[in-house]
Amino acid sequence: MGSEARRRSRERLKEQRRKEKRAAKRNRTLMVLTAAALVVVAIVGIGYLALSADRKSAAYDGALAPRALQEDGSVVMAQPDAQAPVVEVYADYQCPACRQFELLNGDVLKENAADGRAIVHYRPVSIFAQQQVPVSSNSLRAGAAARAAADHDRFVEYNDLLFENQPTEGKEGFTTDELKDWFADTDPTEAQQEQFDQRLDQEAAVVTRFTEEYLPALTEDAMEQIGQETLGTMVLTDLLAWGADHGHDPSFLEGTYTGQIIEATGNAYTRYSGDNAFRGTPSVYINGELLDNNSAMTARGLNEAIASAEPGEVDTEPVSDGGGAE
Amino acid sequence: MDTPDDTLAPETGRASRWDAVQPWLTLACRVGLAAVLITAAVSKYPPALSVQAVEAYDLFPPEVAQLIGYTLPLFELALAVLLLAGLATRYAGAVSALLMVAFIAGIASAVARGLSIDCGCFGGGGQVEPGETTYGLSITRDIAFAAMGALIAVWPRSPLTLDRALGLFR
Repeated sequence: MGSEARRRSRERLKEQRRKEKRAAKRNRTLMVLTAAALVVVAIVGIGYLALSADRKSAAYDGALAPRALQEDGSVVMAQPDAQAPVVEVYADYQCPACRQFELLNGDVLKENAADGRAIVHYRPVSIFAQQQVPVSSNSLRAGAAARAAADHDRFVEYNDLLFENQPTEGKEGFTTDELKDWFADTDPTEAQQEQFDQRLDQEAAVVTRFTEEYLPALTEDAMEQIGQETLGTMVLTDLLAWGADHGHDPSFLEGTYTGQIIEATGNAYTRYSGDNAFRGTPSVYINGELLDNNSAMTARGLNEAIASAEPGEVDTEPVSDGGGAE
Repeated sequence: MDTPDDTLAPETGRASRWDAVQPWLTLACRVGLAAVLITAAVSKYPPALSVQAVEAYDLFPPEVAQLIGYTLPLFELALAVLLLAGLATRYAGAVSALLMVAFIAGIASAVARGLSIDCGCFGGGGQVEPGETTYGLSITRDIAFAAMGALIAVWPRSPLTLDRALGLFR
């Protein structure tokens, strides 16, 4: 009996010690988990604040520097006679990374131009013109619409609206109705809206013909006659030149804004060489030097690159009738 | 430093060999997985491009994609720090493995929906030509990383951990 009681009390003591040990281990685990959670929150929280600070430093909603439409359809935004580096921005309205660039650094460009610290040269291109519909047609239609908006000195505002409303790649978007509505959002006169709408309808028809009839037929012929390998190395303007000599007359593009952006894209590929060669969008050049992503895709990087560059010269001529200053 | 826990069953020769090897294997996995996570986080900079990589999956509204684009690389970095320091090792390994499983699910959904995108695992991301996708490679890679995380979660005991200093195990 006595020994039985002692055995039980020993058991109880053992049990209690086990419990205490388990509780202590639980506490230690909880402490370690708390410490780990704090580390994660600290790294993610501080990092997020630091990265967001860069994004928020870019906000600008002051007045824009004067814009001038150029002969090749591009637009220069700068203070009159500004002695400042030239920042060229190549973007395709259907390109998601261009949208990110615009959302992040669109205001940095505006502010630098307004303060006379940069000459901003917007050079819209359509690197997607040869892709499948609707990627190609979205890209071209938006490019032509931006050019039509530039006729009424509304390029910069319209450029913003296009990127804000960029359709998901591969989905039908930038419809003519949407494009007209967005132009209406820039406060045009009735006559300007009418001109814009008319022009856009013409361009939309050209884009449809180009992407759905002309280019597929031309590509098929070129594939047979010069082979996929050579074709892959040709830019669109070269292909059109080949088509002109082989029964695919591209003259319906002449005088259209659709044709103009295709030509501007072809010229972008030959304008620079070596490390600065134009390979895709977005491409940002300062005085002809291609910026890397760390400079182009952060507000601080772009500001620093602009601040450290010498004054430069724009390589295009403004249209003589002052079409941008209507 | 690798004295077996007193609750362990009596050892066989094979078990003691595993006991000798396992801590070093876990350490190797911790360092390897941390290196992978750091590379992945750093290559996603700047965040504007990381956002674009997330958007290419077409799974989230723009605000959510933006938040993921900014915080995912930081989270990867934080996990790497925990793995290297050996703090809450078991849980850091488990969460890393789960993260890889989430990545695999994301890539699989891109395949299922016929998207042609770069996974954006180590920077890059966005649309690519239909013939240039590397989904198989990305998924295989992520399975290997998930396995490393799982090994750490199951056998967290290893040299050079804060867990040991804090008395989480001997």
